[in-house]
Amino acid sequence: MSTGVAADIDDDLWSAVGDPTRRRMLDLLLVGDGTATTLSQQMPVTRQAVAKHLGVLDRVGLVRATPAGREKRYRVDEAQLARAVAQLTSVGSAWDARLQRIKRIAEAIQRGV
Amino acid sequence: MEFGSIEREIYVEASPETVFEVVSSPERITQWWPDGAHYDVAPGSAGEIRFGDPEAGGGVAAFTVVDVQPPRLFSFRWTHPAGQEAREGNSLLVTFRLAPAGEGTVLQMTETGFREMGWEAAVLEQQYREHVSGWDFFLPRLAPCAEKLQVRP
Repeated sequence: MSTGVAADIDDDLWSAVGDPTRRRMLDLLLVGDGTATTLSQQMPVTRQAVAKHLGVLDRVGLVRATPAGREKRYRVDEAQLARAVAQLTSVGSAWDARLQRIKRIAEAIQRGV
Repeated sequence: MEFGSIEREIYVEASPETVFEVVSSPERITQWWPDGAHYDVAPGSAGEIRFGDPEAGGGVAAFTVVDVQPPRLFSFRWTHPAGQEAREGNSLLVTFRLAPAGEGTVLQMTETGFREMGWEAAVLEQQYREHVSGWDFFLPRLAPCAEKLQVRP
């Protein structure tokens, strides 16, 4: 049975996309593949910082890396990104179901059942 | 409103007093949500709610009552780390507002805190709109949330 947010949501995935810098990186990577170097040229952060953020995104599967010379080339894993958004949708549906149960229970009490 | 909060409204054919009891009392809450609930219906009361059997992979979530105004309002925070005081930034805030309507009650529910917890998905949602190729399969799943959105300029 689907229950609470804690059980349904992948916390690591959501904290990965919770950071504005990482979201900006995802945005850039959706336009086209990139490396830590190319991304850092488009953002006001150092290459080292970008590499660290890419590591976070990589660990939760939001980006995939392939070797590119001395660097790694990253692209967005669209299925995982879709999963992240679908999870938020499921939080909403969970409340719809709970509210329907609240309604049923309260109306049964009122009718004296 | 933004993507980081959920708002719902439902009409219940029962008095606000009855609906209030169903949404707030630990005995009733287990009939529509968790499998176990331990807290006092009093502001500041800290407790927990339980899902499934903890011995068999179930989960326990912290639960702290924020505000109690029978039969108009009941709010609580949950999902904060065990042992921590519930506050903005470490938990989700659920608020039930009840208003009499005819013979029944309009029950409003909001859940907020996703943004503070790092769950802001507004950018993801925007990306869906901007990068639609290949995404048609997933877009219909966004509709229930999107209806509640006021799209930001």
